[in-house]
Amino acid sequence: MASDLTLLIPEIILLLSIVAALVAEMLRLPRTALMVMLAGLLLATVLTLPLLGQDTGVFSGTYRIDTLSVWAKLILLPATALALILARAELAGSDREGTAYVLLSLVTLGSLVLASAGDTMLLVLGVLMSGLGSFALVAYPRTNVATEASMKFFVFASVTGSVMVFGLSYWFGGTGSTLLSDLARLESTPLVAAVGLIAVIIGLGYKASLVPFHFWAPDAYEGAPVSIAGYLSVVPKVGAIFALAQVVRHLPVTMDWRLIIAVVSVLSMTYGYLAALVQNNVVRLLAYSSIAQAGYFLLGMVAVGVSSLAFESMVVFAAAYVAMNLGAFAVVMRVGRTLDDFTGIGRANPVLGVAMVVFLLSLTGIPPLAGFVGKFLLFAASIDASFTWLVVVAILNSVLSLAVYLRIVVPMYRQGDTVGATRLTPIPLVTLVWVTAFAFTLGLGLAAQVLLSQLN
Amino acid sequence: MLPIVSITLFLPLLGALLVMVLRRPPPRVVHAIGITTSGLTLLGAVLMWLRGVNDSGFAQVEQIDWMPSIGAAYRVGVDGISLPLVLLSALLFFITFIYSAKLRERAPAFVVLMLLLETAAIGTFAALDAILFYVFFEISLVSMYFMIAGWGHEDRQRAALMFFIYTLLGSLPLLLAILGLYLGSDPHTFDMRAWIDNPPLAGTAAMWALVAMLFTFAVKTPVFPFHTWLPAAHVQAPTAGSVILAGVMLKFGTYGLVRFSLQMTPDAFHDAGIVILTFGVVAALYGAFAALAQSDLKRLIAYTSVNHMGYVIVGVAIAALALDPTVRTIALDGAVLQMVSHGLVTGALFLLVGMLQDRAHTREMDQFGGLLQLTPVLGWSFMLAAFASLGLPGLAHFPAEFQIFLATLRVEPMAVIVILGIVITAGLYLKAISQVFLGETNDQWSDMKDLNRREILALAPLLILIIAVGIAPSWVLDIIHKTTAALQF
Repeated sequence: MASDLTLLIPEIILLLSIVAALVAEMLRLPRTALMVMLAGLLLATVLTLPLLGQDTGVFSGTYRIDTLSVWAKLILLPATALALILARAELAGSDREGTAYVLLSLVTLGSLVLASAGDTMLLVLGVLMSGLGSFALVAYPRTNVATEASMKFFVFASVTGSVMVFGLSYWFGGTGSTLLSDLARLESTPLVAAVGLIAVIIGLGYKASLVPFHFWAPDAYEGAPVSIAGYLSVVPKVGAIFALAQVVRHLPVTMDWRLIIAVVSVLSMTYGYLAALVQNNVVRLLAYSSIAQAGYFLLGMVAVGVSSLAFESMVVFAAAYVAMNLGAFAVVMRVGRTLDDFTGIGRANPVLGVAMVVFLLSLTGIPPLAGFVGKFLLFAASIDASFTWLVVVAILNSVLSLAVYLRIVVPMYRQGDTVGATRLTPIPLVTLVWVTAFAFTLGLGLAAQVLLSQLN
Repeated sequence: MLPIVSITLFLPLLGALLVMVLRRPPPRVVHAIGITTSGLTLLGAVLMWLRGVNDSGFAQVEQIDWMPSIGAAYRVGVDGISLPLVLLSALLFFITFIYSAKLRERAPAFVVLMLLLETAAIGTFAALDAILFYVFFEISLVSMYFMIAGWGHEDRQRAALMFFIYTLLGSLPLLLAILGLYLGSDPHTFDMRAWIDNPPLAGTAAMWALVAMLFTFAVKTPVFPFHTWLPAAHVQAPTAGSVILAGVMLKFGTYGLVRFSLQMTPDAFHDAGIVILTFGVVAALYGAFAALAQSDLKRLIAYTSVNHMGYVIVGVAIAALALDPTVRTIALDGAVLQMVSHGLVTGALFLLVGMLQDRAHTREMDQFGGLLQLTPVLGWSFMLAAFASLGLPGLAHFPAEFQIFLATLRVEPMAVIVILGIVITAGLYLKAISQVFLGETNDQWSDMKDLNRREILALAPLLILIIAVGIAPSWVLDIIHKTTAALQF
């Protein structure tokens, strides 16, 4: 038990700092709450480092400390810190500012539980924890749009969540256990295995905004503050994807689950980019793009159990995705929500423009940026698992994605609009975030070995 | 030993960084940096040339670990196929910088993009690691997109978008093939030398990889029917962009065809040889006929590129089909030399059209007439380049095309029909020359000035080299031949 607790130090620190931040908020000290949270996140990240290479479980194997779980912490904790900084820039001075920080961190904790789940009940717990905070965060501005978005989000989550719990009961009936590692027992009852899997894909697919469980995402992102939308597009999504990977690795080998995942992947990528192609609101555009990017993650998922590159590629892509997507949202926060806001921005603000172009090209997967390394490994994993056709679809979608992202880039450098375009005075906190994200997007692309050597 | 390849490769990037850190530099300073860096790069390329190549395999190899976990490393080096192209690229960039020194519109961004493009171009030819190759290949796309979108003509946004999407669609199958070759190699590596020595794939897998690569290189070269992006991009691109696009970037396609398709999937290439040959013949003839129908001088030259690159493909396909090693070497020598000649000749032609357009603001051939009397230097230069382009003996294209046709006659006599292309190009260039430079002078242009010193300085090296390669091709061929003669496939 004592050793269990030492393995949980990052989570414990996160939880303690959440409590401390809540106290600070009750004392009406939102700035202190932020500082406490940032310090806690930083400390938790640093203390996760000694856990690298661990492959064990705590609480009788229901909570895992393995590659996915440790890397989820290393990626999502700093991402949360960046999101907090963004939120501060957007929400400072508003009523209940500190609660936003607390809720945000709680959602992160839920996402970490998801990524570390070794038991079906922890899946449920993780979905609930990351869900409840998210609804409140989306509704934070208390405008009509935000309330409606939050309501949709909530209803959607309730339905998918219940379906998941319902499906999981089949698995419990089939295996007599809630442990994911016992799923192999379902080999003789393929129907039970399939019902449960589909329910899990629905429950986690909503969280990761995979098609066809994505409907809430564009509305929620649009209604929420930009910083919250950016946060929701990375942290809970990565948590849910990793959770799904934790599930599928234990499915019976005879089961054809890979095909189901591949189909969801194709739907997400294709629908996400096609829908993004017609958006004029940049936040909605990025929401659909994040739906498509979730589909890319699944290219690594189909290789789980057959290719050594499976987890490696998903972790690298997760790190890349977090950096480039948060960066893009940070720029949107500074520039504005509509495509018109971007007109001439690249000419008037060259550095900001270059950063945005880099984020978008990285999302497309152009080398030598982080997104390329991630997608490249995902493609390799998928081909290794004999899913070449899936890679072909992904490649076609990458071309489509270029058309999507160029819809932002082209107006940025349109000629003749230089007069109208404003020179934006930088907001220090936002600048800090996109500069950090920029450094990671570029650095991870050139020095992916730093990550890869730790993963092997 | 100084790592000259890496220094040459990264000098332009260094120059680009220098321009970026300067705060609001005046255009003069920026252009000075551009010319100096590309001049030093050219010097580096010349030093590489002097060091020469090995009798087999790659020379001047430099490598550092990059991503050892997946077998990717920074590996660069040259052989007789890539070295002439490196030198050609360095030369064309240097010349383009001299030509562009008059540009005032957002000069820093222009120079940064050009320098980035130069590193990407040299890197594409010098890379010995498939990932590195792909990285440089794609960076060149991005830089060219911004070049066309930022400094092109009227309809540049559409042309740039079409170029970017089309060529990205084209290049992604190559990624698929690279992944296939990687997973087929044992131990897994991205080392192109290992892939060349022991082709990792066989049978159907090799054929699929070949098809994917052919698609990529066919778009890049471009081959009919994948060429539609080319005229649009050329017509809209600024002169500097056109020179680099035609002179350097089209060679990515044919270089990749030799380096990847021919060398890494040799058996599949041999099996598909007839098909590839047919594509080459069709491209060459189509390019010539399409050029014949143009009234815009720049479009005309763009289409002759399709024609000339078609000959390269014919040469490579013949080399794959040939059973006799000497014939194979002749075909490949011709194909590689054709790439170099085309770079020199088309570079010169696009520069000249650019100079003409700077003066007249139009490129419609029927608007001109009798320019030879008004601007004799421009006129005679154009005639020299045009005659070289139509394959006149004594000028750059002749030795290359001659070898290609010679080998073709020995291997697939039917394919010699491609020679018709020469007749057509001869006709269309004579038509262009007579419309633009001969005949009645048009009063509209009576005050047109002849080439100034900067323009002559940019043009002269190309014209001299066109003659030098034409009269004494052996100084280039010797280097090429060293590698092609030793190729085993």
